[in-house]
Amino acid sequence: MSRHHSTRSIRSALVVGAVASAVALTACGAPGASSAPASTATGPATVSTGAPAAPVTITLYDGQGLKAVDDAIIAAFTKKYPNVTVKPTYDPDNVTTQNQPRQLAAAEPPDLIRVISVASGVKNNLLTNLDPYATAYGWDKLPASQLSQFRAENGVAGSGVLYAKPTGFTMTGLYYDKANAAKIGMTNPPASVEELTTLMGKAKSAGLVPMVVHNKEGGGAFPVQLLLNSMLGPDKVAAWVFNAPDATIDTPEAVKAAQQVADWNKAGYFPEGVNGLDANGADALFASGKAVFFPWGNWDAANLDKTMPGKVGFIPMPPATAGGQLGAMSDAATAFGIPSKAKNKDAAALFLDFLSSDEARQIVVDNGFMPSGTDDQAAPTIPAGSVKNDVVAAFKQVSAAGGQTPFVQNATAGISNQAWTPETQLLLGGKSDPQKYIANIQAKYASELGR
Amino acid sequence: MTTVDGTAAPAAQAGAARPARPSRRAGAGASAARRRAAWAGWLFALPALVMYAVFELYPVFSAVQYSFYDWDGIGVASPAGVQNYVRVFTEPQLVASIAHSFVLILFFSILPVTLGLVVASITREIRSQFAGGVARTLMFLPQIIPGAASAIAWTWMYSPDGAVNQLLSALGLGAFTRTWLGDFTWALPAVGVIGTWLATGLCTLLLLAGIGKIDASIYEAAQIDGANRIQQFFAITLPGLRSEIGVCITITVIAALASFDVVFMSTQGGPGYSTTVPGVQVYQLAFTENRVGQSSALAVVLSVLVLAIILPLQRLFRER
Repeated sequence: MSRHHSTRSIRSALVVGAVASAVALTACGAPGASSAPASTATGPATVSTGAPAAPVTITLYDGQGLKAVDDAIIAAFTKKYPNVTVKPTYDPDNVTTQNQPRQLAAAEPPDLIRVISVASGVKNNLLTNLDPYATAYGWDKLPASQLSQFRAENGVAGSGVLYAKPTGFTMTGLYYDKANAAKIGMTNPPASVEELTTLMGKAKSAGLVPMVVHNKEGGGAFPVQLLLNSMLGPDKVAAWVFNAPDATIDTPEAVKAAQQVADWNKAGYFPEGVNGLDANGADALFASGKAVFFPWGNWDAANLDKTMPGKVGFIPMPPATAGGQLGAMSDAATAFGIPSKAKNKDAAALFLDFLSSDEARQIVVDNGFMPSGTDDQAAPTIPAGSVKNDVVAAFKQVSAAGGQTPFVQNATAGISNQAWTPETQLLLGGKSDPQKYIANIQAKYASELGR
Repeated sequence: MTTVDGTAAPAAQAGAARPARPSRRAGAGASAARRRAAWAGWLFALPALVMYAVFELYPVFSAVQYSFYDWDGIGVASPAGVQNYVRVFTEPQLVASIAHSFVLILFFSILPVTLGLVVASITREIRSQFAGGVARTLMFLPQIIPGAASAIAWTWMYSPDGAVNQLLSALGLGAFTRTWLGDFTWALPAVGVIGTWLATGLCTLLLLAGIGKIDASIYEAAQIDGANRIQQFFAITLPGLRSEIGVCITITVIAALASFDVVFMSTQGGPGYSTTVPGVQVYQLAFTENRVGQSSALAVVLSVLVLAIILPLQRLFRER
């Protein structure tokens, strides 16, 4: 037995080895698509606008959270252009970041795709240059601030060629419980961070939770950036997110913003167990009527209209000093781009054009987002008593002050999971200090960008 | 013996009985038949081998290859030498994640096997068939729930107003309540307990099956000799379960070192970096950060690590 066994073992080892080396040989050569599309810097040579003559079906890819908005826009769009059928696919929101690059690089990509990072889409020539469509449809008339974050040049977002067009915008700031705000003597929105701090002190004395921060999934970065927008300034924040050369947040102003949040936390202004509280828990805490401020975004407005009808207001984060720079994170609900390998680019562009139509704007506002469009278009209507009125008013105020910024968590693919979330947890857990906090995030940013 | 062919088997058995001498029937013709039979055997194994090569070997070799490149998964890769491996051992967060997975061995392996041994020896003595069946079913229940689902359930129980804190308060231990998964000291043990809960059932069931094979008369003899339950456990049960314990340890140590679902669904590595494990890092690096090369390097290191720990364990638990 032993002899037969050993010769067989040797023989099977040889066969396995041969199979293995054959496999290894086929795998040789640098990985990566040799069939990467050629440069798309110039965009389609000819574009056609308007309804297509023959029926056409286009596919669309987005996150599940935006299904309601997208489905309503698609319904309105196909009603207006019966020749076009739109087939949407939605992925759970927490995996769109992972799946989107693969969808974009697929052999048969969707015709319309959610663009999360313009810079990375451009890097591999996977997105269509939309400038010819912008000229043909007159998208140039839209306020520059609405499209600048979807432009890129030399791998840096913020200006240059247009690669995506938004359905609408998000808006961030402070929700507040009207009854509790009145209880602590807030008659007007606080004019400065100092006034806000004083109000939160009163709330603490009144036995209320002054600010519902939730940091299990990294929501603690919200108040940090709301302060950063004003203290560092929207331009520097945007430059950092768009990976402008030499951009840094390792500055005294950013440390001051982190310091302020750490001080609030130390003063007991955040809920107990802030690092274990998630967004749902925070919503429940705010709805329980035991809190005053809730730094969050427009996406919660429809929900708050339901859970606390008429009881909630919304204001922008007050500036660092009275009369100073206002700021808010506000980027696209979804920015749709057209993959380079898409089959129906003209029909897809028609859909992009429809996104700033009056019909689409009303749908976007009904769903709690800020519409994209020109100032002379009819304003969408919002029912009285809805907190959405406050959100839209705050958006106008911040836009007028030039304070719209992209989210710092979107600066690189890994910065949210690998820096902002864990580092903010360390900061609020008392395991880090503001100086180290900002320095570590900047270091991670630099290492991921290979700087 | 890999052959399934009828003609080869008797010859091989004869060979087994008298290893040095060829069997009486064995001439030149018989050996040719045997060779043919061997190839027939390979033919039978071919479908499985092809599957193995395509779905196991090829991905393994690809991962090893990727680990020497800088690649975003889409564009063209650039060679990186051993840089990715250097980073696995120098980036403090990657080193820490490997250390965390060793802490999890305590919760995923040592505790479940210990608990399993205790429960199995007690269950052995349950005389009623019905009660024994119910006990076994209840113990095994966690095993049929997906790790991701139980992680979500445990996340609720660990929340500030969750079952764990309610229980502590009810017992007058209100001072010990905390946000378990948000606590830098307690998050890792809390995640570990989820693993203990998941693995104990499997270990108990395997060990119970093992105890069933031990001859009951040995226990009777020991009892007559005056051995108490503890002495019986150490003298009979423990040695008799050697190979079953080996299986339990092997499965659960792999689960600890390669853990993903429980950590991903409960903490995603937080708070801070206190519960990061290599499995989650491999996923984050490859699919969130698009650093496929770095991710592959960590995955290769993880695989080597698992083998380096499992192989000696296998030797240790082999039946003598």
